[in-house]
Amino acid sequence: MKGDKREEQDPSPAQPTQGPMKGDKREEQDPGPAQPTQRPMKGDKRKEQGTDPAPPVPPQPSEEEEALIEFHRSYRELFEFFCNNTTIHGAIRLVCSRHNRMKTAFWAVLWLCTFCMMYWQFGQLFGEYFSYPVSLNINLNSDKLVFPAVTICTLNPYRYTEIKEELEELDRITEQTLFDLYKYNSSGTLAVPARSRRDLGRRGLPHPLLRLPALPPGRRARWAASGMQDNNPQVDRKDWKIGFQLCNQNKSDCFYQTYSSGVDAVREWYRFHYINILARLPDTSRYPGEDTLGNFIFSCRFNQVSCNQANYSHFHHPMYGNCYTFNDKNSSNLWMSSMPGINNGLSVMLRTEQNDFIPLLSTVTGARVMVHGQDEPAFMDDGGFNLRPGIETSISMRKETLERLGGNYGDCTKNGSDVPVENLFRPLKYTQQVCIHSCFQESMVRECGCAYIFYPRPPGVEFCDYRKHDSWGYCYYKLQDAFATDRLGCFTKCRKPCSVTSYQLTAGYSRWPSVTSQDWIFKMLSLQNNYTINNKRNGVAKLNIFFKELKYKTNSESPSVTMVTLLSNLGRQWSLWFGSSVLSVVEMAEFIFDLLVITSVMLLRRFRSRYWSPGRGRRAAWEVASTPASSFPSRFYPHSASPSSSQPDPAPSPASAAPPPAYATLGPCPSLTAKARASASQEP
Amino acid sequence: MAPGEKIKAKIKKTLPVTGPQAPTIKELMQWYCLNTNTHGCRRIVVSRGRLRRLLWIGFTLTAVALIFWQCALLVFSFYTVSVSIKVHFQKLDFPAVTICNINPYKYSEVRHLLADLEQEARGALKTLYGFSEIKSRKRRGAESWSSAWEGTQPKFLNIIPLLAFDQTERATATDFFTGRKRKVSGSIIHKASKVMHIQESKKVVGFQLCSNDTSDCATYTFSSGVNAIQEWYKLHYMNIMAQVPLEKKINMSYSAEELLVTCFFDGVSCDSRNFTLFHHPMHGNCYTFNNKVNETILSTSMGGSQYGLQVILYVNEEEYNPFLVSSTGAKVIVHQQDEYPFIEDVGTEIETAMATSMGMHLTESFKLGKPYSQCTEDGSDVPVKNIYNAAYSLQICLHSCFQAKMVEVCGCAQFSQPLPPAANYCNYQQHPNWMYCYYQLHRAFVQEELGCQSVCREACSFKEWTLTTSLAQWPSVVSEKWLLPVLTWDKGQQISKKLNKTDLAKLLIFYKDLNQRSIMESPANSIEMLLSNFGGQLGLWMSCSVVCVIEIIEVFFIDIFSIIARRQWQKAKEWWARKKAPPCPEAPPSSLGQDNPTLDMDDDPPTFTSALSLPQAPGAQVPGTPPPRYNTLRLERAFSNQLTDTQAFQRHWLKVCFEQDKAYARAELAPIGRCPATLTAVQDEVYPAAFPVHLLEMD
Repeated sequence: MKGDKREEQDPSPAQPTQGPMKGDKREEQDPGPAQPTQRPMKGDKRKEQGTDPAPPVPPQPSEEEEALIEFHRSYRELFEFFCNNTTIHGAIRLVCSRHNRMKTAFWAVLWLCTFCMMYWQFGQLFGEYFSYPVSLNINLNSDKLVFPAVTICTLNPYRYTEIKEELEELDRITEQTLFDLYKYNSSGTLAVPARSRRDLGRRGLPHPLLRLPALPPGRRARWAASGMQDNNPQVDRKDWKIGFQLCNQNKSDCFYQTYSSGVDAVREWYRFHYINILARLPDTSRYPGEDTLGNFIFSCRFNQVSCNQANYSHFHHPMYGNCYTFNDKNSSNLWMSSMPGINNGLSVMLRTEQNDFIPLLSTVTGARVMVHGQDEPAFMDDGGFNLRPGIETSISMRKETLERLGGNYGDCTKNGSDVPVENLFRPLKYTQQVCIHSCFQESMVRECGCAYIFYPRPPGVEFCDYRKHDSWGYCYYKLQDAFATDRLGCFTKCRKPCSVTSYQLTAGYSRWPSVTSQDWIFKMLSLQNNYTINNKRNGVAKLNIFFKELKYKTNSESPSVTMVTLLSNLGRQWSLWFGSSVLSVVEMAEFIFDLLVITSVMLLRRFRSRYWSPGRGRRAAWEVASTPASSFPSRFYPHSASPSSSQPDPAPSPASAAPPPAYATLGPCPSLTAKARASASQEP
Repeated sequence: MAPGEKIKAKIKKTLPVTGPQAPTIKELMQWYCLNTNTHGCRRIVVSRGRLRRLLWIGFTLTAVALIFWQCALLVFSFYTVSVSIKVHFQKLDFPAVTICNINPYKYSEVRHLLADLEQEARGALKTLYGFSEIKSRKRRGAESWSSAWEGTQPKFLNIIPLLAFDQTERATATDFFTGRKRKVSGSIIHKASKVMHIQESKKVVGFQLCSNDTSDCATYTFSSGVNAIQEWYKLHYMNIMAQVPLEKKINMSYSAEELLVTCFFDGVSCDSRNFTLFHHPMHGNCYTFNNKVNETILSTSMGGSQYGLQVILYVNEEEYNPFLVSSTGAKVIVHQQDEYPFIEDVGTEIETAMATSMGMHLTESFKLGKPYSQCTEDGSDVPVKNIYNAAYSLQICLHSCFQAKMVEVCGCAQFSQPLPPAANYCNYQQHPNWMYCYYQLHRAFVQEELGCQSVCREACSFKEWTLTTSLAQWPSVVSEKWLLPVLTWDKGQQISKKLNKTDLAKLLIFYKDLNQRSIMESPANSIEMLLSNFGGQLGLWMSCSVVCVIEIIEVFFIDIFSIIARRQWQKAKEWWARKKAPPCPEAPPSSLGQDNPTLDMDDDPPTFTSALSLPQAPGAQVPGTPPPRYNTLRLERAFSNQLTDTQAFQRHWLKVCFEQDKAYARAELAPIGRCPATLTAVQDEVYPAAFPVHLLEMD
């Protein structure tokens, strides 16, 4: 500690009324002008210049002697040091110029004003930053593009051998129902035996299709309250509707799923039963071997090159039949488009003959195509595009990507791992659609105890079938109602993915094949595919999918206020109003730290001087002499230093009051003290 | 004295150039730290305690590092753009609309050119697939093709034979014309190799293309015979058509009157005079609406299908080329007036017997060019010559680049693109192996080996029309009864037969609304913003400014070097002096170099204060204002003080030092190193004389 050092140089601690600093200084100045001063300011500097070959003054501390950390010995010393060396503008005027009330008040007002202004601005800036504003960037890039995955479905649900009998039974019952309800006889041959087995059939299947009388409004309201599905806008002119009844476990609550149109009702009813039958299908028979690609796709070319075996994968969709996905994640090398245009895309000739397996399930003919990302599941329901037979459909794509900022800037999820819904479509990527379907399936398993057939099932759960879960229909329709009105919370649970790639499709149509070329084309196709073609356009379709342009738009978000700009703005405001810097704050912190240390040291000394014997060598003597000489406040304020102390020795005080010759540090300190002392001496 | 010298002397007098006052670097640093306005530096010097000083050095360096880091971030993010989207509602210019028939030439007109080819195609069909001609074709054929087949020697199949490959044995192929097996040499570049097992038959059809010496051959096979035949036909077709002059081709194709049956624009009738001819190599005559040179661009005053272009097209299916095109309809493309319509690439097909409505929505994009992005304003800085007579676009560049390579590598130009200067279209009379060359080149192009994709850059501004297409059956069953006869009567001059509804197509192109969306990029940062951000950073961390930076440059880059130079010079002088006169003069330079300032700085305050204490009586000082405490004020004074000091003082001091040294020498003490000590005494003499002046100034 400095104090220790000083102690040796200080032969006479005989001036107890003086501040320790003053005493030291005078002591050391007295020997003569040749000796460097021991004033703290001066001392500091001298320490820096420790290597100087100083005049032969013995007690001169060199750099080696400088302590690791030194503290000021009094508040005044600290205070003066701080006043002299601080870099805070304005504030120093307030604290350090206290001799003129007017001036002080003026500075105080100024300081307060600037302080308020600055903090107001700071508040604004922080408020702006922590609202996490984003700015939208639209980038137009042109690049070689990865061709998206393309899924094409036959729209012909396949009839598995395991459930063939049951489906035939269902068909027969449906025909029967149609006859009963609409007096429609689809095929004369089937109708007669069906009618004979009519009662049996109707008994065979639960939830029979019924004709319901139209309800008076009052009653309808009650039904609606009990959860009736009322899917009809008031378009039916007839006074009855058609639907089927669904009940819960103990038949206490029932409702009718009704439809205004008989077509809808029959289809929905058929679909419902078809799902149940499908559920009985064992897992092993998912892919019927005989349904090969060749029966559906006549030719396939990409970039003028024929498709490869490795380019496609197959799955079977219960509603849309055989689906072939080209260029999906599993294909060996992904297709790239380096040129836009119809010649640089996928070109497929399809067979769209209706095999009439299940006429009630699929009422459309053609094929269904969907363009999706490589690692996204193909939701043919959600994003499909129907192809018409006999038509060449040219679909031009335009890619568009959307990148959201996650984290604080927006509500989106990077990979879905932080969404409370398990992705049942793994290992496919998280999309919002995937999440919503998974969420629905989750609720389905939770509420109804079985899994909906069109979505993947969680492990250990079986698909819904009314033979095992007799009230699942009731449960399902209830759930779907809840789902549609978002009472399940799926839409809030499922967050948007942070990056979305979408393809905008535009279609153009032309007749294919043309009259002049259809002869040889049909002939050719029929020859190479070994099936008899009946020269009808309805049996074939052509599809071209290509990029319209290689430009793609990227909508991305970026934080509009970054940390750097925030700091710059803060610095600007700070400089403008206050003129200080972060280092000034560190200075303040150092000042406070010093203040605390000095306070504690002084308290310690006072404590020691009071309770310890004062005669413990020179050290104790000095301590007693130097520290408790005056009270803290008196030492803190220069003018309250005892006037008697300054009077007795006039010689050093003018010396200290003299402005320094060259060094900035020297200037304010002595003059201040001198002036203070002078003013103090005048007061009495 | 010469005036030049006079001025020189005056300048020398008024603007004296002196080096830094501080004699050593350490001094300089100290002086800098004490006097600079940059926060932190001063604390390094004034702090007490090594740890404290070290901490302050650490803080200061951290602040400097932070400033540099943040400023680097600012600089790197300088070239960012901000995007503004504006939606205007205004009267919009109608775009140019180009309409083509899918079939390029009337088959009846070109038949005489293609008769041989057709025969051979049919012959190939028969041999490959074993089915005979269909009756309808026979009726139209000038002679029975089969009989002609027997007699003539096929020329097309000789040039590029169609081959049937056996899936099992790869190396052999059956030339279906001669019937004999032939060895397929060279690499088989399969357009389909590991084909999916589409067909039950194991036969794969393809053709072989060879370079000049038949050693290097490529065989192209196709998964479907339809594709093989079409591709093969197209190759020969291009060969034949390449030799036909343009005027003849235009005549063989459809005229505007033929293609356009009716035309309405903005509720006003229009006709073929509003359309300009544009000949496309693969689509024949195309007609562009609203592309008249030297005429005002038409615009629509209202949105909606009523106010757009409404045409009925006559697409004569009977005149279709059976092998070249397999679909029926027309193609339409919406583009800018000066843009080239890439009808084969991005055209939208229109179906016959249908009314196709296309709603447009205009989006304009403006990008910022260099250095913000790689786009080009007009393509003049792209090293590819634009062979199209149209404004630059990425696609034009790609096609031009490919065509240039084609001419360079194969010696002739590809048929479906415009002709570069001093080049001919390829045909196998002149360039027998161009097809092989073309296929190789095209493969290389698609795989981006030609470098076209990297050379071509996108255009900076473009307009695009987003189309929404909807279809409706047209004409309806009830209206067709009167519509068709009327249209037939309209077209009475050109055609003799009654119109069929599958020969007609209706097209409506209109603005959905007159909203135009403009996406504009503008620089997100300007130089002022960057500077003010720099200022913010400098101010935040160190309260520094540009002046501080200049100060740093002055101190660290000028003064330091001048100090070093001075010291070196002095050393050299000393060495020289020692060499010349060894005993005495070696002392002064060394002491001057090192010790003078120390003394100057260290010892002057006590002497100074003591000197001051003499004239200043305590009483006189009381009401006086305190000395100015502005660092800057004192700074300058300190400088001039020191400067005059060091200058005036040195001479004086040297003398004293010499004397002292001599005295020491007399006392047999080491003279070196004594000078500093003696200097205190010297200073005592010097300072009082030197300083009071400044003192007065200060007070």
